[in-house]
Amino acid sequence: MASTLLLLTIGIPWAGAVIIWLIGDEYQKLLHGIAVAFSVAAGVAALMLIPYATGTPIISVDTGPVFGVFTFAPDGLGVFLAAVATVIGSLAVIFSVDYMKGEDQIARYYAFVLFFIGSMAGLVMTTNLLLVFVFWEITALCSYALISFHNDDPKAVAGGMKALIITQFGGVGLLLGALLIHSYLGSYELNDLLARWNDIPAGVLSVAAFGFLAAAAAKSAQFPFQTWLPDAMEAPTPISALIHAATMVNAGVYLLARFYPAFCNVPGWKTAVVIVGVFSALLAAIMAVVATDLKRVLAYSTVSQLGYMVYAVGTGGIFASQFHLFSHSVFKALLFLGAGAVIHAAGTRDMREMGGLGKKMPVVRNVFILGSLALAGLPIMNGFWSKELVLESGLAGGPMWAYIAMLIGAGITAFYTFRCVYLVFYGEPRKELHVHDAGPFMKTALIPLAALSLVTWLAAGPFSLLLKNTLPYHELEAVSTMFVVEEVLKAPATWIAMVVIALGLIAWWQRDKLTGLGKSLKGLGDIAADSFGFEAINRGVVAGVQSTAESLRATQTGVLNWNVASILIGLIVVMVILVMGA
Amino acid sequence: MWQIVILVGMLICAVMAVRTQKLLISALWLAGASALVALWMYLLGAPEIAVIELSVGAGLVTVLFVFAINISGEGGAPAKELLPRSVSWGLIVLSIGLLAWMGFSGGLPLPASMDGTIFKSVFWQDRAADVLLQIVIIFAGALGILGLLAEGKSHTTKGED
Amino acid sequence: MSLSMTTLSIIGVLGLIGIGLYALLAAQHMIKVIIALQILAKGAILAFVAAGQANGHVSLGQSMALTIVVADTIVAVVGLSLAVQARRYIGSMNIRSLSNLKR
Repeated sequence: MASTLLLLTIGIPWAGAVIIWLIGDEYQKLLHGIAVAFSVAAGVAALMLIPYATGTPIISVDTGPVFGVFTFAPDGLGVFLAAVATVIGSLAVIFSVDYMKGEDQIARYYAFVLFFIGSMAGLVMTTNLLLVFVFWEITALCSYALISFHNDDPKAVAGGMKALIITQFGGVGLLLGALLIHSYLGSYELNDLLARWNDIPAGVLSVAAFGFLAAAAAKSAQFPFQTWLPDAMEAPTPISALIHAATMVNAGVYLLARFYPAFCNVPGWKTAVVIVGVFSALLAAIMAVVATDLKRVLAYSTVSQLGYMVYAVGTGGIFASQFHLFSHSVFKALLFLGAGAVIHAAGTRDMREMGGLGKKMPVVRNVFILGSLALAGLPIMNGFWSKELVLESGLAGGPMWAYIAMLIGAGITAFYTFRCVYLVFYGEPRKELHVHDAGPFMKTALIPLAALSLVTWLAAGPFSLLLKNTLPYHELEAVSTMFVVEEVLKAPATWIAMVVIALGLIAWWQRDKLTGLGKSLKGLGDIAADSFGFEAINRGVVAGVQSTAESLRATQTGVLNWNVASILIGLIVVMVILVMGA
Repeated sequence: MWQIVILVGMLICAVMAVRTQKLLISALWLAGASALVALWMYLLGAPEIAVIELSVGAGLVTVLFVFAINISGEGGAPAKELLPRSVSWGLIVLSIGLLAWMGFSGGLPLPASMDGTIFKSVFWQDRAADVLLQIVIIFAGALGILGLLAEGKSHTTKGED
Repeated sequence: MSLSMTTLSIIGVLGLIGIGLYALLAAQHMIKVIIALQILAKGAILAFVAAGQANGHVSLGQSMALTIVVADTIVAVVGLSLAVQARRYIGSMNIRSLSNLKR
């Protein structure tokens, strides 16, 4: 039963992708229906899989000595992330019915979305390192294809290319780590690594550990790879929601959490993880303050919140990081889909042109505010509990400077969140926009998400039990929801954080009086708007890769004679090696 | 001694098949090479495959070549070679030389006593997977024949591709 | 001269493969390419039979060679039909004019 459900979780979206691709663009209504049906079915399958969660592989296909055994295990982390990917993904698909209505090439859109969702489910549930890499690359491919969905728009194509190239650096790190581990353990099995990491020489293990860290940072758009995510904003907004909340950036945090028991003893690894997290959280928060594009603000906030999760992993708070990931997925999907509704209605992404939209689209305003409260970390919302847990684990297991930096980050988060809400929904309309309210399918996706972001923290107890029972190597403790509540409410860290968040809010309230301060920080703002120079570095990397590829094209003439000559040269090289060896 | 004559004849046929400019003549030289290869295999004690090679390699394939050349014409005069001839020769001499060195340096196997198995049983029982694959390939061949025979119905519409 | 059948066979195999490869390096015409492939395949068939004869497993060598004969014939058929179609639609059987890659 469990193995069937697992296969269904991966297989239903893939089957849907193939069917949609075969149907083609002529039958728009049918396509919308099929996409919704398949994604919802996958979500149901993933949710039904949760009770069967177990740490031991339930599917294993032996493929011989080279590739090892292809195993799938629905353990706590995997089944939870698969559920997030499929459920949030299905909501994004439902939202798309309104958002993508009348667009061209809808089949390509839905086929890649479903392929994306299925691959993410596969990525988190396989326990074979090689398959992890394969699924990892499939998600990279899908994200590229979807970011560049409007392939007649050069900005969209450039954004997709950038995402693809930057995440490839991470892919190389992952492959390197996986191959090194295989060469010393003789197995790609993930649980083998967690059990026997001691058998690997320390130097090799640290190469693998930092390779995996690079992979995670590239995938989760962490420092210093953070610039691809904001550029990915050229994608249709449901895709942004998918990438930010369900299928793409979570993979990096997942990877770190998954391999934490093997790598936490590598000298310097935890510190490096903390540094990556802190830098991402702070830098992205500052960039979000100066951004004027609604989706960019949200993108920077994703980088920043992922920084919190990475920081939590670095300080040993696996449960805190995954719990924050859970909350973040819900409220970030809500925020993105809400932003999508606004952008769809207003026809612009520039917040300076919006304003006063709240009266015209009250439902969207209300749910967006709920999401913003969660993002800022205000009480009762799910973001509050999880962010406090992250900060607490940071205080307990991490350096003090990092904790203070993260507190400041929380204040900045509150500041930019309220700036964003105010600019979009309140104040005087700054421009005549012909705004219409969101469509029924959009509301169908938004309202459950808003409700979820109010209540998901109640699942903290069962969630921690799930993780504890199925992740033997992580040495987690099960905590009840009540315990989490008490812990958070009693801890002084919470109150300090609340004061900082309140300071952030006051700063926005009194922004007119702070203009002097603002002017003196203008230089900082300019640098932040330029991504602290990393934008230039990343752009250089992308340009370098592209020009290398362009010059390598000369080797592909497409003329048989040259190909045969190359084959012969290869044959000669092999034979020379054989002769020398003999 | 007469074995060497057959061998040399085989190689000369192959060379002529490559060197001849006229395609039709080239195909006939190929048929000759095929026939001599079949004869050689017969001498090696493999009569079944020799018969198949003779009928298929020298017969069927040659007919197909002649047919294809007939319907498509000889084609224009060949352009100058892309690779400098010296480079081609160098590559060939190097790779074949290495192959030969590897082939002969290992010491030739002593002529073993023939095992009694007969071709039919080996083919149908031990190599059953091959037979299945061959059936699949033959389907591809049938499609190829259709491609050979197909009239250019869509010529006017697709001709500009 | 005491050249055994095995030695002569190896010479034949090497000769056929060498000629075939050279033809592939030099060929400009699609049908010439297919002829080159045929010569290469004949070398391979001969290699299998000769190896089988040298090892005493001549039946095994034969049945492998039969697989190659089938594959090789189909390659010729498909290749020729491609050549004919190329002639029909592109108007040329020169391999250089078949390449659509940007250069």
